[in-house]
Amino acid sequence: MTVTDSLTGTAASVHPRSAPARIWNVVRLHLIDRRTYIGIPWLIVGMAFVITIFIAQIVGFTTGGLGTPDAIEGQRYSWAVLSPQWYLVVVGVQAISFGFPLALGFGVTRRDFYLGTALLFLLISAANALAFALLTQLEQLTEGWFIDTYMFNALWLGIDGFWVDLFSFFVMQLLVFFIGASIATIYMRWRMPGMLVFWSSLALAIVGAVTIITFTSNWPAVAIWFGAQGIGGIFAWLLLPAAVAGFGGFLALRRATPKN
Amino acid sequence: MTDTAVRVAGLTKKFGAFTAIDDVSFTVERNKIYGLLGRNGAGKTTLMQLLTGQQFATSGTLEVFGASPVENARVLQSLCFIKESQRYPDSFRPQHVFASAPWFFANWDDAFAARLVEDFRLPLNRPIKKLSRGQLSAVGVIVGLASRAPLTFFDEPYLGLDAVARQIFYDRLLEDYAEYPRTIMLSTHLIDEVSNLLEHVLVIDEGRILMDQDAEQLRGSASTVVGKKTDVDAFVAGRDIISRDGIGGLASVTVAGLGEAERAAARAAGLELSPVSLQQLIVQRTTSTTGSATLDETESKTDAWSTHS
Repeated sequence: MTVTDSLTGTAASVHPRSAPARIWNVVRLHLIDRRTYIGIPWLIVGMAFVITIFIAQIVGFTTGGLGTPDAIEGQRYSWAVLSPQWYLVVVGVQAISFGFPLALGFGVTRRDFYLGTALLFLLISAANALAFALLTQLEQLTEGWFIDTYMFNALWLGIDGFWVDLFSFFVMQLLVFFIGASIATIYMRWRMPGMLVFWSSLALAIVGAVTIITFTSNWPAVAIWFGAQGIGGIFAWLLLPAAVAGFGGFLALRRATPKN
Repeated sequence: MTDTAVRVAGLTKKFGAFTAIDDVSFTVERNKIYGLLGRNGAGKTTLMQLLTGQQFATSGTLEVFGASPVENARVLQSLCFIKESQRYPDSFRPQHVFASAPWFFANWDDAFAARLVEDFRLPLNRPIKKLSRGQLSAVGVIVGLASRAPLTFFDEPYLGLDAVARQIFYDRLLEDYAEYPRTIMLSTHLIDEVSNLLEHVLVIDEGRILMDQDAEQLRGSASTVVGKKTDVDAFVAGRDIISRDGIGGLASVTVAGLGEAERAAARAAGLELSPVSLQQLIVQRTTSTTGSATLDETESKTDAWSTHS
């Protein structure tokens, strides 16, 4: 009960909430079931880690030694560190496909819903980036958790130091969320025709780019360009598609209507 | 503050070539219970979605508490829209809904919500996906009542609710409305069940407002005259006949607007007068506009009526 309510005994008016409060409430709405954004992703990380330990032991047993530079380098190719991302792209989809109709039912504007959802993505991405960058450091410090098992020190992580890990993971996480969310938004706004146009134009764009690079014999140039960017540079470039997905999603959602 | 909650003028909503809402104009006064009645696909849900900013109007003006509801946080905070097809996140349980609702509805009453949960015997901890149809409806009904929004829309809120649960809904709605007056718009098929609840009736058919009338006036707006066919025919001649039915030498004719003197005249002529239920009245009015093409011709009542239309 609000103050006005108890004073007048009527439900004829409500005390309006400020924009920051409304946007924060959308963040809270997404997080009301903590399993979705926190519980299940870390459960997946935990499971992946257990499996990684087993696989590392098998590799160690068959090659005759885990602590060797070769073995550490070999474990770099494991994608276990990214195991929760497949789940999180679906979470990004559901943030819109379930969250949008629910929020509208709760009288939230599209603008507040999108800003709250984007803020949630930023916060979760920052938290995950910090956690994974720290775990990578810890893994190196403990030489593979004292059992020569490397999961976080994999792919591009643990090569250029803590700050590059932090930045790159943040961008990657943000991209995963916004790609999921923007695909769901395209569906919410344009339904099936939107999906068909989106996926076919994406496929055409990729095939077109590959064709142009191949016909102009530019693959070596592309490889050199990527090499010159470095890990930090490549992820800085990836901010671009994340921003396009984020802002494009906002524009598309402003005119979207929930499904019945 | 004016006494008007909703003002709609020339509102039209088209989905491609289909016109869901066709040049509709009406106003909704504050602190009354409105019934939005109509057949399936008449445009009830679309109209409510327009009023709550969930759909965008094709043309016309639409004001809720003095402004367009579309993307208007001030207006939307005063609304609560409970629709039969409301979707919830996959992992949600009823407790998640009731824990988050107070963040969006400033007048939310936790104690009232808890009482309703008991009334409807709703399992709070069961995943929403696993609730029965009636339990899912109860979730919406509880949010709609406990939110005490100044303007609350219930769109077919009780799908799958049993008779006991529906009665609880009507009772709690009336009790709470008496204590916390607010504007409520209820769309429903079960017209007779809610007819005592409604203070004003909006009937919509094929996207047009067919009736916009005080419920009390509407109930008194027609009577059924029963008696010998010849007597009845003599009495109703020249009157606005809404429907006609008969068996053998007996006739039962529903006519519009009888005054006190006319009622007395009918009784003097040995005719019986009976009130027409809101449901009968609306069924007769909505079928008469759609024409005989949509009617079931095998029904004797319809046959009797359509020959006179």
